[in-house]
Amino acid sequence: MLIEQIIVYGAISGGVYALLALGFTLIYGVSRVVNLAHGSFYMLAAYMFVFFGTFGFFGSDPMLASILALVLAVIFVGAVSSITYRLAIHPVIGDEVAVLVVTVSLAIIFQQLMLLWFGASFPRVSWPAGSVLLESTSILGVSVEYSLILAFVVSLVLFASLLVFITRTKIGKAMRAVSQDREVAMLMGINTDRLYMLTMVISAMLAALAGIFITASIEKFTGPWLWFKPLTLSFSIVILGGLGSIKGSLLGGFIIAFAEKTVTVMVPEGGAIVGVVPLAVIIAVLLVRPKGLFGKRIEMEE
Amino acid sequence: MVMGYLRRAYSSFAAHVFDVPPRLMAFLFLMILLLVPAAGLGPYYLSIMIYANVVAILAASWDLLVGRTGQISLGHAIFFGIGGYSSALLFKYYALSVWVAIPIALLIGSLAALVIGFPCLRVKGPYLALVTMAFPLIISNTVKWSPLVDIFGGEFGLRGFPGFFPFLPILQQRTAEYYFTLVLLFVSSVLMYKTANSKTGIVFMSILDDEMASKACGINVTRYKLLSFMISGLFGTLAGCVQANLLRVANPPMFELTISFLPIIVTFLGGIGTIYGPIVGAYIYALLDRYVLADLLPRLLRENFQVMSLPSGYDFAKLLVFTLIVLILVIKWPRGVSRFTTDKLEDLEEARDLDERGPRIWKTYKKKKSSTPA
Repeated sequence: MLIEQIIVYGAISGGVYALLALGFTLIYGVSRVVNLAHGSFYMLAAYMFVFFGTFGFFGSDPMLASILALVLAVIFVGAVSSITYRLAIHPVIGDEVAVLVVTVSLAIIFQQLMLLWFGASFPRVSWPAGSVLLESTSILGVSVEYSLILAFVVSLVLFASLLVFITRTKIGKAMRAVSQDREVAMLMGINTDRLYMLTMVISAMLAALAGIFITASIEKFTGPWLWFKPLTLSFSIVILGGLGSIKGSLLGGFIIAFAEKTVTVMVPEGGAIVGVVPLAVIIAVLLVRPKGLFGKRIEMEE
Repeated sequence: MVMGYLRRAYSSFAAHVFDVPPRLMAFLFLMILLLVPAAGLGPYYLSIMIYANVVAILAASWDLLVGRTGQISLGHAIFFGIGGYSSALLFKYYALSVWVAIPIALLIGSLAALVIGFPCLRVKGPYLALVTMAFPLIISNTVKWSPLVDIFGGEFGLRGFPGFFPFLPILQQRTAEYYFTLVLLFVSSVLMYKTANSKTGIVFMSILDDEMASKACGINVTRYKLLSFMISGLFGTLAGCVQANLLRVANPPMFELTISFLPIIVTFLGGIGTIYGPIVGAYIYALLDRYVLADLLPRLLRENFQVMSLPSGYDFAKLLVFTLIVLILVIKWPRGVSRFTTDKLEDLEEARDLDERGPRIWKTYKKKKSSTPA
C-alpha cells in the first residue's frame, strides 16, 4: 500500500516538478541567467488565477471561467516577465553576481507587492466546486483526484511540445545556437536580445502553468511567501539533471519527487523535513557527479 | 552659461577637496565612528550603529570569499546561524561565559566551513552558488524539526543567555556594546584586508582571475579555496555570535535567505572585491533601512502631515521601497558606491594632471562614463 502511494503520487508530482524546472533550465541554457525570481512567477500565477477567477466570466459555466482565468493568468505572467526582463535583468546580463542580486530583489518586490495587494493571508486556490476534476478515481488501489491526472497529462504534453519546439522550429534552432556560442550566433544574424526576452517569457509562462496546476491540484492554497519552495525545488532538480539540460530536468523532477514522497511516507514526522530532501539529494549527487546527471552531454550545454 | 560656471566651480572644488589619501580617509571614518556615542544618541540609534558593525563584519567576510576568491556563495547565513547557535548551545549545556564561548564558536565555525567547503569545491560557478544556497536551508529545516526540539528549541530558537554586559544600565550597555563591536569590526577588517593584500590574497585573486592558469603555475587551488572558505567562515561566525549575544536569541531566521542576501546587497552597495566597500555599504544599509525608512520617514509624516497611525501596509511598503532602491543601485552602479567614488577621484586626478581648468575635467569624466559598455 505504501509503495503504491509512493509510486502514484511520486509520478504525478514528478511530472509537474519537471515542468517547473524546465523554465529554469531553459533560461539558464540560453542566456546564462540564474533566475532566482522563477518561483515568483509561480506564486504570481496562482494569485492571478484566483484574481481572474473572481470576475466570474461565463457566469453559468464555472469550468470555462476557470480555464479563461488560467489563460489570462499565464498571459499576465508572461507580460510581467518581459517587462521585468527589459527593465531589470537586461542591464546586468553577463555579470553573474549582479544577476543573482537583481533576480532575488525582484522576487522580494513581487512578494511585497502581493502582500500589499492581497494582504498577509493564504488564499484558497482550487478548481471550481462540483466539477468532474474534484472527483476521485483509483490507480493501483490509491485514490487520485482527476485534477492530479490532468496536471500530470498537461505537464507531459507541454514538456513534449517544448522539446519539439526546441528541436524542430527555427526559433528553437536559434536558441540552441545561442546557448552554444553567443557571439557566433550574433554573427549569423540572430537577434540575441530578442531571443533572450522570448526565452524569459516562455520560461515564466511554464512556471506559471506549473504554479497554477500545482497550487490548484496539490497544494490547494497560495501565499506571498510561497515563491521560495518552488525555487528550491526547481534549482535542485536542475542541478541534479545538469544546468541547461532539458532531459536532465525531466529525470531530475521524477527523482526528486520520488525521494520526497518516500521520506514523507517512511520517516516519522517526515512532512516537516521534506524540504530538506531535494537539497540533500543534490549534495549527494554532486559529490559523485559535479556537473549533474546530464552535465555535458546535452545539446543545451556548451 | 550659468550651468557651465557652476560645473567649473564644482569640479575645481571637487578636485581639491577629494584629494585625500585613502589611508587618511579610513582614519577619518574611524574617528567619526569612535565619536558617534559622544553625539548623545539614544539607545535605539546606538543599536542601529551596532547592527551596522555586525553587518559590516559579515559582509566583509563574504567579500573576501566572493569578491577576492571568486567562489560565489549564496549561503553565508549558514556561518551566521552556526555562530549564533553554537554560542547559544555552549551556554545552554556548559553555561560558558560569552567571552569563552566566542572563541570556541569561532573554532566550530571554521571547522564547519571546512566541512561545507569540501563538497562545494567540486562544483563551480552557478552550481556553486545554488549548492551553497542549499546548506542553510538544510540546517534551518533540521533545527526546526520536531524530534530535535529539545536541543535546538524549534521555531522559537534558544533564548535566555546573558549577553555581553548584562549588569550595566541600558545606555551604558549600548555604548559598551557599540565600542566592543567597533573594535571587533576594526580588528577583523584589518585582518581581512591584510590577508586580501598578502601573498595568500594574491593567490586568491589568481584563482578568481583564472583557476586553470593558477593550477598550471603549481598552486594547490583546492587548499587555497578551502583556506578562503575557512577565513570567510570564521568571520561570518563571529558576526553570528555577536548578533545572537546582542539580541539574546538564536533562532531559525538566522539561517534565512534574507541573511544570506544581506552581505550580497551590502557589498554591492559598497563595492565588490574591496573589503572596505562592504563596510561603507553596511552603514548605508543600516541607516537607510533602520533609520530613514523605519524612524525618520514615519516621524516626518507624523509631525508634518498629522498622520497619526501609519497605514497598515507601511511595513510591507518599507521593504518594497528598500528593495527597489537596491535594485536601481545595482543596475545603475554595478561597481558599488565606494568604487564609484574612487573611479571619480581617479578621473579627477588624471584630468587635473592633464589640465588645470575645470570644464575640461568635466568633459573627460563624461567621455569616460559614456564609453564604458552598459
